[in-house]
Amino acid sequence: MIRLLAGATASGLLAVLLTGCATTAPPAAPAPARQVAPPAAGIEIPVEYYRLDNGLRVVLSRDDSMPTVTVGVYYHIGFRIEPRGRTGFAHLFEHLMFQGSANLGKMEFIRLVEGNGGLLNGSTRFDYTNYYQVVPAHTLETILWAEADRMRGLAITQENLVNQQGVVKNEVKVNVLNQPYGGFPWLNMPQYANESWFNAHNFYGDLEDLDAATLEDVQSFFDTYYAPGNAVLVLAGDFDPAQARAWIDRYFGAVPGRPVTGLPDVSEPRQEREKRHAYVDPLAPRPALALAWHVPARGTPEHFAFGLIDQMLLQGEDSALWQRLVQQKGYTDSVWGGINLLGNMFNYAGPMLWTFSLLHDPAVSTEQVVSEVDAVIARLREAPPDAADLQRALTKIRADLYGVAGSSDRFGLVDLLASFALFDDDPARINRIEQEFRAVTPELIGRVAREYLRDTNRTVLVVEPGQTAAGGPP
Amino acid sequence: MKPIIATALLLVLVPGAGPAWSREAPPAPGIPHDFTLPGKQTVRLENGLSMTFLEYGTVPMVTLMATVRTGAIDDGGDTWLPDLVMDMLKEGTATRSALDIARQAADMGGNLGAGAGAEQATVGIRVLSEHATGAAALVADVLRNPAFPASELPRLVANYERNLSVALQEPGSLAGRELSRRVYGDHPLGRTLPEPGQLAAYTLDDVRRFYAANFGAARTHVYVAGRFDRPALEAALRGAFGDWQTGPAPTVNPPRAATSPQLGFVARPDAPQSSLRMAVAAPDLTHADYFPFTVTNTLLGGSFLSRIMANIREDKGYAYSPYSSLSAYRRAGLWVMSADVTTEHTADALREIYGEIDRLRAAPPPEAELEAIKNYRAGLFVVNNSSPDGLLGQLALMDLHGLPDEYLTQWVRHVYAVTPAQVSEMVGRWIDPSKMTVVVVGDLDKVRKEVEALPQLVGARELETDR
Repeated sequence: MIRLLAGATASGLLAVLLTGCATTAPPAAPAPARQVAPPAAGIEIPVEYYRLDNGLRVVLSRDDSMPTVTVGVYYHIGFRIEPRGRTGFAHLFEHLMFQGSANLGKMEFIRLVEGNGGLLNGSTRFDYTNYYQVVPAHTLETILWAEADRMRGLAITQENLVNQQGVVKNEVKVNVLNQPYGGFPWLNMPQYANESWFNAHNFYGDLEDLDAATLEDVQSFFDTYYAPGNAVLVLAGDFDPAQARAWIDRYFGAVPGRPVTGLPDVSEPRQEREKRHAYVDPLAPRPALALAWHVPARGTPEHFAFGLIDQMLLQGEDSALWQRLVQQKGYTDSVWGGINLLGNMFNYAGPMLWTFSLLHDPAVSTEQVVSEVDAVIARLREAPPDAADLQRALTKIRADLYGVAGSSDRFGLVDLLASFALFDDDPARINRIEQEFRAVTPELIGRVAREYLRDTNRTVLVVEPGQTAAGGPP
Repeated sequence: MKPIIATALLLVLVPGAGPAWSREAPPAPGIPHDFTLPGKQTVRLENGLSMTFLEYGTVPMVTLMATVRTGAIDDGGDTWLPDLVMDMLKEGTATRSALDIARQAADMGGNLGAGAGAEQATVGIRVLSEHATGAAALVADVLRNPAFPASELPRLVANYERNLSVALQEPGSLAGRELSRRVYGDHPLGRTLPEPGQLAAYTLDDVRRFYAANFGAARTHVYVAGRFDRPALEAALRGAFGDWQTGPAPTVNPPRAATSPQLGFVARPDAPQSSLRMAVAAPDLTHADYFPFTVTNTLLGGSFLSRIMANIREDKGYAYSPYSSLSAYRRAGLWVMSADVTTEHTADALREIYGEIDRLRAAPPPEAELEAIKNYRAGLFVVNNSSPDGLLGQLALMDLHGLPDEYLTQWVRHVYAVTPAQVSEMVGRWIDPSKMTVVVVGDLDKVRKEVEALPQLVGARELETDR
């Protein structure tokens, strides 16, 4: 055993003992076999769920297998519901949450987390903005204090706002504007496939909108969306639940409750005819193609059926689209996508697309690729899937769930718990995911394929190359 | 615990929030919890193949990863040929088609991965625990019995040509290519992208030749981590690998980084950002300076806490993710600073980075700043080694570099032993602007003159490359 004994000195120096052994040759004598039986019901995540008087929802999930705690604070405000005329504001605001609060100046939140041995980040997605840290277990109280401090209010200067406008504009440049296929299809497909402004605007933000943001906007955005009643706090890892509850009461319980604004109607009409759009990317050397379909409402049996369709058609090298487009036809080296390109099939609330994309050579036409896709989809629309294909999809899902449950940063676990709390008021749903997939019948899959994998429910987005293979304009 | 320093001129937006001088201090951390790593057991077979077992983890999954000590280091100028060979391994074996491989992997809950890096090629898979022996058989079959079907080669080469065409439009790939070739010259690690026409010339004979020359038991180490039936899995691995030929010993050919100043430009007209890269030789993982150097890197540019981040992002807003890192090749380290900065501040950003290097060389960092960096590295160590896959990767890295177990068990102690004076010493000894290679990819009409005029770059050997 290698054992690290922490806390040996005031500086936090870890003392380490080694008892591992390295042997060379002779073959080890066989020891009695220890059976590793497949579990019947998949993952079992402990879930404790309650609400503070100010409306903050709290999820505790204890697992002391490693001495860290992952803390996530999720606010129910994503880029799809940001104000008109302020595109990109939800994301810019995420940056501002690191710029100072009543008791923490600029950079001090980051210093407090990393300087105590933690990792941190934040992200903005369709329906939430999240802030998360993995911290050594003994620093949990410090981090809870800091998260509560910025939930109580921000202290942003004009200088800090201007600074972060510059940072975000550089983020857009490095991720989108200065890259071939920048924003394709994760940023631009929703703009073509959706009808409602909420689902179809530029989520990263137009640069003019980013520049127009004021300190008044910052305050009003905070007041509207960052109320405790619009948030979930999740702790997963090594903590004493009674102690954690006491700290949460002390620090988060002290944040005054505020009214929570209702959410806008972000629904999409049923799509009745195919949409097509093509554009020239001046930096792209080869054509690219993306297809997207609207998926069934989240959490319904049809949605779980679509999750299995995604596994059978798109996920992994065994999937039907990979086998057809990559292995058999040789059109591309990979086909990539899924339900919700910026997350997974659970961490959003509202309309969503199933999207995939690929690059191909000019010798292959868009129509050739689309007709092969059509052939793959037609099989699923015409006949129920093979039992072996369905079983394989369920196996992949089980392995994915174990991957989430066994990850050392616990980000995926915290994300699912937070999403089920924020959008369903039911974080324990995480333990029923596998059963909900297993309840899907082959007949339901066929019905969902026929209704949702219609040509008239899809959008085809084509990138035309603005560069030749040699590196200049064609 | 780092004291919180009140900043002047806070505009308090929140009604009721206290003024800066009466701020509340954060509660101090408690006592660190123990961190226990599992024991590893390593077995070496008579043919030279090693196997390491780590029983670890909370879920019934197991990762098998076979590493072969080959990669770009052995390509002899045939850039990307090792990658092509690894892709060809997945195209079928004597008894399995590519579809069989993909389906059998998925039936076990996994995807078979195969790829080549600079010095290690790997075939690996993560599966549900009950399929551990099946995964061992699949990995061994792919590694030992490739069919190398001629029918699939043109398709894979076309894929590589397409990926190359994209890489030649990406500022990061262009900067990486330019930096590597300026730093490492004709060494295989100096070439990250193939030349035009090079890929199309690769034949099935090239693939077979590379495989025959570079694969075998002596170069292979199989790592297993997770929850598994050890006796059954060990027996399966012995059966699958025990009679593999010994094959060649690993290549010893560490690259030598350039030591005279160079300035490379790659034109990218109208680019909204300049992609900056700076590199200089650094201690490798076995060097006596490694621990003080890696801590120095974290403080200078290798974390969100770092000085370069605080300066060019959080103060100036020139960049989104400036970052410095240490590339650890066997017996050859390289310090690389990367930043994609807004075009009009290209020279400003370089000036600020040089300024931070100078400042850290001239004055040791305050104790509290260094303490925070050490805590961060110790915390990262726990997270990185808290999962089967994380620890497995760490052990593979140690074996590549020939490091003893003490590297891992003494890691935290070594980090905490670094002193402020050592940090300045490391900057002076290694991060020397007069030995650096600097690459700028961007709109040269707008940025070139100002960059050339920087005092650190006057007199540097200047080179411009077309895309």
